Amino acid sequence: MTSPLPNLAEFADELVIGLLDPADQARAERLEREDQTFAQLVNAARKRFSALDQTAPQQDLPSGMWQRVLDAIEQEAPEAQAAASEPVDLDKARQRRSSSALFWTTATSLAASLFLAVALGWNLMSTVEPKVVAILLSDAGQPVAMIEGAADNTTLVTMLGETTVPGDRVMQLWTKPDPAGPPVSLGVFDKPRKTVLSVSGLPSPSTDQLYEITFEQPGGSPTGLPTGTILGKGFSSQPH
Amino acid sequence: MDKDATAGNLSILIEACARSDTSALRLIMDAEGPRMLGVARRILNRGDLAEDAVQDTFVQIWRKAAQFGTAHGTIGDTPEASARSWIYAILRNRCLTLLRSAAREVATEDDRLEKQLDADTIDQAWTSLGHESDLRHCLGALQEEKRTAVLMAYVLGYSHGEIAGRLNAPLGSAKAWLRRGLAALRECMS
Repeated sequence: MTSPLPNLAEFADELVIGLLDPADQARAERLEREDQTFAQLVNAARKRFSALDQTAPQQDLPSGMWQRVLDAIEQEAPEAQAAASEPVDLDKARQRRSSSALFWTTATSLAASLFLAVALGWNLMSTVEPKVVAILLSDAGQPVAMIEGAADNTTLVTMLGETTVPGDRVMQLWTKPDPAGPPVSLGVFDKPRKTVLSVSGLPSPSTDQLYEITFEQPGGSPTGLPTGTILGKGFSSQPH
Repeated sequence: MDKDATAGNLSILIEACARSDTSALRLIMDAEGPRMLGVARRILNRGDLAEDAVQDTFVQIWRKAAQFGTAHGTIGDTPEASARSWIYAILRNRCLTLLRSAAREVATEDDRLEKQLDADTIDQAWTSLGHESDLRHCLGALQEEKRTAVLMAYVLGYSHGEIAGRLNAPLGSAKAWLRRGLAALRECMS
């Protein structure tokens, strides 16, 4: 870590205002999910700036937008239902666990936040304690990426060998939590280098779960499902 | 969904989305969509990308509706303020992701015109903040370069480097203005 101990309130402000680089943003989002003190700082920052959102001049929406949204959510109905039942339970479970542990009492939560922020900062790897690992292979059988998925679906992507990304494309990582269900995006990244992705609302990854990377248009697949060329795919195993 | 009973009540509408009520999502779009497109347009500076961002945001609102209320809202917030803050956080996040991944495709032929448009957008945001607003009061207390840097970051989605470039300042100065400006706002609005 090159920067000094981050001031958590400043870190929260920078997340909200949009000044963090992608790696710091992933750390901040993880911290927001896992630490109530930091989540409250983020909420407070959002509230401070929200008046500025209301200053934007209103603009008419294009007439077809509602239908496109409807098409997208109907196409993803199974995923939406899965997401609707899953995260509430996970969050409640996490809160129960948190409130019962002495470590997370009010008196120590700030210290814990600082410790977590430092621990995350010291080493990017420490942000992902892999529950599963998958090696993605190209059509030609060459390894193209290693995926390390944590229980909370924070995912470390390590690219293997040389990857050429077409000029107008980004990479998108997908997984299938339900083998019979649709692929779900774990995140978009534009450079073929070590990247941490995080996503909420998915069940914890398990073994024999499909992962794949596709090339998609900037911002990711417009349909919410993989549409581009597949760079590589593979199934997860449990590390020992 | 009874439109009269729920129109404008965003937190109830989001909860209805979690129960797969598409008419609730439509009511949110009717109520907030035009403002959301305005926010996206200021950041992305391109109509097509801004529309994509708003559209994606509504899909995300639908997907994440069940999470609303479990992790959001602080003591003292009204459900309405929490709901609005939740929606705009998703929108801003989507806009910034699109902005960073699409690389800013602005016309560079006339940098002066571009700077003028940026300045106009910032001015418009600043002057539209209600005089009774705490944010207006506290931003007003900042030195101009700090205020402008904060507004450029939030309203236009500019990075440290872009802010330094626009203000013809060294990167270190731009970072310091932002850091001190944000700290002063925290202090002033606490």
